[in-house]
Amino acid sequence: MKRTQKNLKRPLLALLAVLLLSVPLIFSGFPYAILICCFILLYVIAVSGLDIVFGYCGQISMGHAAFFAIGAYGSCLLHDYCGIPIMLTMVIAAVLAASVGAVIAYPASKLVFHFLSLATLSFGEIVYQIISHSPGGITNNFVGYYTESINFFGLTLDTYPRFYYYALGCAVLFLTAKQMLVNSQVGRAFIAIRENHHAADGMGVNVRKYKVIAFAVSAFYTAFAGAMYAHLVRYISPDTFMQKQSVMFLTMLLFGGTASLAGPICGVTVVMLLNELLRSAERYQMFIYGILLLAVIVLIPGGIYGTVEKAIKNVFRRKKEAAKDAAG
Amino acid sequence: MFWQLLISGLVIGSVYGLIALGYSLIYKASGLLTFAQGDLLTLGAFLGVTFFTVLKLPFVVSLVLAVGFGFAVGMLIEKFIIRRLLNKKVLIIYVVLSTIALSYIIQNGTMLAFGTKTKYFPAIFSISRIKLGSIYVQMESVVCILVSLACMLILHLFMSKTKLGTAMRAASMDRVAAEARGINVSLTTGLTWGLAAGFAALGGMLIGPVYGVYTTLGATIGKKASASAVSGGYGNMYGAIVGGLLLGIIETLVAGFLSSEYKDMISYIILLLFLFLRPTGIFNERALQD
Repeated sequence: MKRTQKNLKRPLLALLAVLLLSVPLIFSGFPYAILICCFILLYVIAVSGLDIVFGYCGQISMGHAAFFAIGAYGSCLLHDYCGIPIMLTMVIAAVLAASVGAVIAYPASKLVFHFLSLATLSFGEIVYQIISHSPGGITNNFVGYYTESINFFGLTLDTYPRFYYYALGCAVLFLTAKQMLVNSQVGRAFIAIRENHHAADGMGVNVRKYKVIAFAVSAFYTAFAGAMYAHLVRYISPDTFMQKQSVMFLTMLLFGGTASLAGPICGVTVVMLLNELLRSAERYQMFIYGILLLAVIVLIPGGIYGTVEKAIKNVFRRKKEAAKDAAG
Repeated sequence: MFWQLLISGLVIGSVYGLIALGYSLIYKASGLLTFAQGDLLTLGAFLGVTFFTVLKLPFVVSLVLAVGFGFAVGMLIEKFIIRRLLNKKVLIIYVVLSTIALSYIIQNGTMLAFGTKTKYFPAIFSISRIKLGSIYVQMESVVCILVSLACMLILHLFMSKTKLGTAMRAASMDRVAAEARGINVSLTTGLTWGLAAGFAALGGMLIGPVYGVYTTLGATIGKKASASAVSGGYGNMYGAIVGGLLLGIIETLVAGFLSSEYKDMISYIILLLFLFLRPTGIFNERALQD
């Protein structure tokens, strides 16, 4: 059985790669669809970041929109005021967000999740207040801020297909890094903290250190996605970085399922598609999200991917048992 | 100027206190955090303004009806969502997340049901303002402060003098021991959630006439009230009230004397400072650390 699964895996991956690479060709007459795919890719990066801290390390964050904002505004402001090329400012802004995340996580790491959610929530609100009432108005406050496209070694990523390939590259890079991280010693420490931090402490895991690392890495992911957002849309305003956005990230993550590679991808895709379907009923959008989130929590706490994975495993187990019965 | 600001600080502070009281009650009874309090305030305010202006009921009757409705909603939330999740033994964080989902449902539900326009209470009292020393104070503000203080007093008496209140305190201290003594713990927990929601609705009815009623009225108040609950000592009833009044006064004074730009930031900064530096709050309530 293992062998058939393995044999299937390679061609399936190849098919997936071909499919992902040909998205701009499939939708060549329909740029809006490519834009949606770009959004899906950048949200996958952001939500995977949240998955590191929430799914693997078990630490709630209700202020990830703040890191998204630091990435977006940081990259734009650094480019405009210091003249650094955007490719670099995106990374610098993400590093900046990671250090902010570490600074916040250091004192916050002693809080239990209830109060961690309050702390991260107020951090998010503070960042929102700063970008909407910035000193000297450098972020243009509520008017919003216009910025430019990414210049990728001479190639301006100003069309959706170009940006799509760039975002695809980034997503593959970030997801690979995430898999390597969670399968490493650091990842095992995260999971130990999630399962029982007293036990982890007893086994010699430096709980505070790893919580800080989880927050910093997570902030890096989300901030980078924020910078991508800013240079894709080329306009940012504080409305995008309200608490609603943090809840949206959490919704996407819970929808797909936590602590997996495919969970965030599933969740982001489903929520983004729902978003587009509900576009005509914008008044009802947040209402429906609330109901969906509640339904997921009450009915399928494992999320879509988690539940499907479980179901498939059950089917296989039943088949195995049936085969055993038949043999016996 | 100072006295005027102090009064408006007390007005919003007493509402923060009411909401924070709900947080503390729920935390004591079930060890949980709720994010739906603020939106229950909005719901209460909208119901009250509807009873008062559309159905033309007297103010006191609309207030009682709105609070009663809030109480019922709180009990239903506990019975059908919180209890179900706890019985399924999901991670506690999912229960907290479910209250966030609820807050979105209530907030956007009120928007769909009552519209996005701000609704104002028409003049409630025949005298619109009274003179206190050298300043004039809106009658609604006086009522807001007095009623919320009276409610806090009644809650104190209820919790310390009546049998049911004692049972609720016992159940929050030790669930198993209380059950062994014949206390219906699931009833007292439900009552606590109902009381918290009722306080939120009351807050809405009191602040509605002062600020006007709109769909995001409660969301901000609810988030800031968590700052007052934490600064007082999360889970401490008196701490919630003191924290609420202090926060209201500090916020209003800073907005009046320094800058109104950062008015909304102060409560979050206070919240973070207390969480990081003195998580047990003013009243030294030991519950915050694990």
